[in-house]
Amino acid sequence: MNEPATTHVAQAGTLESMDCLVSITGAGARAIEISGSSAARFKGAIEKKIGEVLDTLSAKPVKVTVQDNGAIDVVLGARVEAAYRRFERGPSA
Amino acid sequence: MAINAVGRDIPSHIEGYGDTTNRLFAGAFARIPEGNRDGGKIRAHGPKENGKLLSGIREAIAASGLKSGMTVSFHHHLRNGDYVVGQVIDACAEMGIRDLTLFPTALFGVHKAIIPHIKSGVIRRIMGSVNGPIGQLVSEGGMEVPVVLRSHGGRPRAVVSGDVHIDVAFIAAPTADRAGNISGREGKSACGAIGYAFTDAQYADCVVAITDNLQPYPIAPISIPGIYVDYVVQVESIGDPAGIVSGTTRVTRDPLRLLIAKYASKLIEASPYFMDGISFQTGAGGIPLAVTAYMKEAMMRHDIRASFGLGGITGYFVELLREGLVEKLMDVQSFDLDAVKSIATDPRHIEISADWYANPWNCGAAVNSLDVVILGATEVDTDFNANVNTEADGALLHGTGGHQDTAAGAKLTIIAQPLLRGRIPCVTDRVHSVTTPGEVVDAIVTEFGVTINPRRQDLIDACKEAKGKDAVPLVPIDELYARARKMSGPMEPVAQGDRIIGVIEWRDGTVIDVVRQLA
Amino acid sequence: MRRTMLYLPGNNPNMLTRGYLFGSDGLILDLEDAVAVSEKDTARILVRDILRRGEFGSCEVTVRINGVDTDLWRDDLAAIIPCKIDGIRAPKIESPQTVRDLDEELSRIEAASGIEVGHTKIFCLLETAFGVWNAYDIAKSSPRVAAIIPGGEDLAADLRTNRSAEGTELEWVRRMLIIAARAAGVDALDTVFPRVADDDGLRREVEFIKSLGYDGKSVIHPNQIPIIHDVYTPTEKEVETAKKIIQAAKDAAERGLGAVSVDGRMVDVPVVKRAEFTLVRAGVLPEQEKGR
Repeated sequence: MNEPATTHVAQAGTLESMDCLVSITGAGARAIEISGSSAARFKGAIEKKIGEVLDTLSAKPVKVTVQDNGAIDVVLGARVEAAYRRFERGPSA
Repeated sequence: MAINAVGRDIPSHIEGYGDTTNRLFAGAFARIPEGNRDGGKIRAHGPKENGKLLSGIREAIAASGLKSGMTVSFHHHLRNGDYVVGQVIDACAEMGIRDLTLFPTALFGVHKAIIPHIKSGVIRRIMGSVNGPIGQLVSEGGMEVPVVLRSHGGRPRAVVSGDVHIDVAFIAAPTADRAGNISGREGKSACGAIGYAFTDAQYADCVVAITDNLQPYPIAPISIPGIYVDYVVQVESIGDPAGIVSGTTRVTRDPLRLLIAKYASKLIEASPYFMDGISFQTGAGGIPLAVTAYMKEAMMRHDIRASFGLGGITGYFVELLREGLVEKLMDVQSFDLDAVKSIATDPRHIEISADWYANPWNCGAAVNSLDVVILGATEVDTDFNANVNTEADGALLHGTGGHQDTAAGAKLTIIAQPLLRGRIPCVTDRVHSVTTPGEVVDAIVTEFGVTINPRRQDLIDACKEAKGKDAVPLVPIDELYARARKMSGPMEPVAQGDRIIGVIEWRDGTVIDVVRQLA
Repeated sequence: MRRTMLYLPGNNPNMLTRGYLFGSDGLILDLEDAVAVSEKDTARILVRDILRRGEFGSCEVTVRINGVDTDLWRDDLAAIIPCKIDGIRAPKIESPQTVRDLDEELSRIEAASGIEVGHTKIFCLLETAFGVWNAYDIAKSSPRVAAIIPGGEDLAADLRTNRSAEGTELEWVRRMLIIAARAAGVDALDTVFPRVADDDGLRREVEFIKSLGYDGKSVIHPNQIPIIHDVYTPTEKEVETAKKIIQAAKDAAERGLGAVSVDGRMVDVPVVKRAEFTLVRAGVLPEQEKGR
């Protein structure tokens, strides 16, 4: 019943060309929000990749926000993992 | 519905455009004109007439007889610094004139100021490029009548053939005299060539010159003679010099662009056209300018002189002219200060009209003499069809420019582009909209190498001949497409509705594709 | 060949994914100076994933790890070594013991990841006077050592001087390291040329290090690659002479003769080896895997 008090936001990545900025915060259920240049044509692929990375990390439910500037899958995956690991380390990290 | 020669479904009637049954794209050189040229109204300004000089734009609009529902034209030589379109449309709105057809040679970001006039119905239709905010508005269904996109050569063809009749042409004139003689070479708003304004001056029923540099009669040299011009208006300013011309154009040092340019240059060097008398057009983009720089090195190495450079002219081309590497420049539009200065002083730097530059229906446009052109594109497909009009999300954001005309005219048409812009691939299995058909595109050059259209086996052979330092890295189109797809992943289709918001004409006036409203 | 080894900033997706297209002989994915301290974790994950993707054309792939004087280098190795890379570039190597420490850690990870032990080479950056002084011993300290490389800025600082356009401060270091490298049987690779817009200066420096015997240079900007390759590419005349020498040696061997001469010059084993090397650099002969 009780939500964990993980309200901090962890970020990884940049808004440079071919990169993305991923923000992760605690949530009741997994949620994904995507904006940026690739969103119109790659929403499904981006959601799939984020899901795969979180599953591999056995992640708890989080909200993932992606501000995309043209990251291909390999870059997106690395940013999501980095952001999640920072999230796991907690607000002091 | 019927399928045209590039496999696009075109409705037999497009609301706000007309019937397409006899207007389906059938091949780059398929449509043959018949009949006589169209023409403007005959006017007679006798010696006893009052002078042409009027006190303001409103007076000129009144004198021109402009009424609701008519067609007004503008040129785009003042580019992103233009004040004239805004001033004229504002005045029309104040005078209660509505339902105008706007027929510019191109629009720029600065013209977003007319959006309120589109929304209020002062402008009902646009025939010309729609960029940035206006393009977004149109793509989202903000205009009832579809935009008609024509190339730089297709536009004068449409005027000369009578597809479009101009009621009043408003010509921004960096220099003019009281008789309506016009030049772009001098004045605080100097823009160099004013090639896009010629046809409008010759074919409109009424021509109004708007200047901020009125000089004693007669000015010299004269680009457009006053025999075509009905009225002259002096205003405080026709444009912002900072938006009209850029400073000196510099070649990029971006390594990816340089790599692509290097490959394009190797292709040109390996081609049969790389010899004394070669002609080329490279425009002002980063990659094409870098190609010019590499070609300069190659021309010096092989002691080769080019006969002419064509199109929009930059300072870089002027440098080639001064150094004797290029004999002549044929300039329809001067991009920077060096080009403006050069056309004003060097007789080898020739001003040409859009008709002369690119119209498929005259006795031979300059593009027909072109050996090599370097172009860009939003995307190209495995049939080599190129899209320059719509963006990845399906929005209609770019004009056609000279893309179709130079591709059709040049012996070697090169599209030079990074394979991906961010995640978005520039090589797909099917472009969202076709601007230029693959039958006139010879090669795609990316950071992965040179991809030659299989119908140009002669070029493939020529590239294979080049060895050692001159070797051209060849990549087949299927491999290039597979590579792009592997990097980007599968793309979802563009979310669009059924309503047609844009019609893309091939330069001969046939419909090559349509653009639909975003969902 | 290691004429050019291009540094790719470890937190820059654009360069990491496209850097191999610029045609350098090798790549150095950089986790050290090109990455801000606050981004070491994200860069390590990004570099690891790019290595797993493995699209590097024909480039030799190395990673510059953080120095053994930091608490980052073990995590760096743990992330990247299982991706099976050609080598690591190790900063601030000062003694044979440092190399042996690296060697041990590499062997442990290689064994655990199913990679042949000894696969990963070590490229040693000598960035202090002490490291330069120990160059030969460092180069001999492990069979993994593939090359020794003088430092640039750090070394100049340690020498209590600055980097100059003429490279006066590095001149003796460069001369010393080529001898140490050759004596130990490893490559000598030069430091980067930092003034990326100075094409003429770069050309002069490359001509100098080539004349000393260096095998190549570290590269900080892709636009430097064609200039360095141009200097290292033999002229047509050199290629023709090399072909003649190899043909003459072949003929002599077939006819059971000892030494022969070409253009009045004795052709012995070292001359034939030089000629083969010239043809490799010219791209006429394929490159052989370097045996040790």
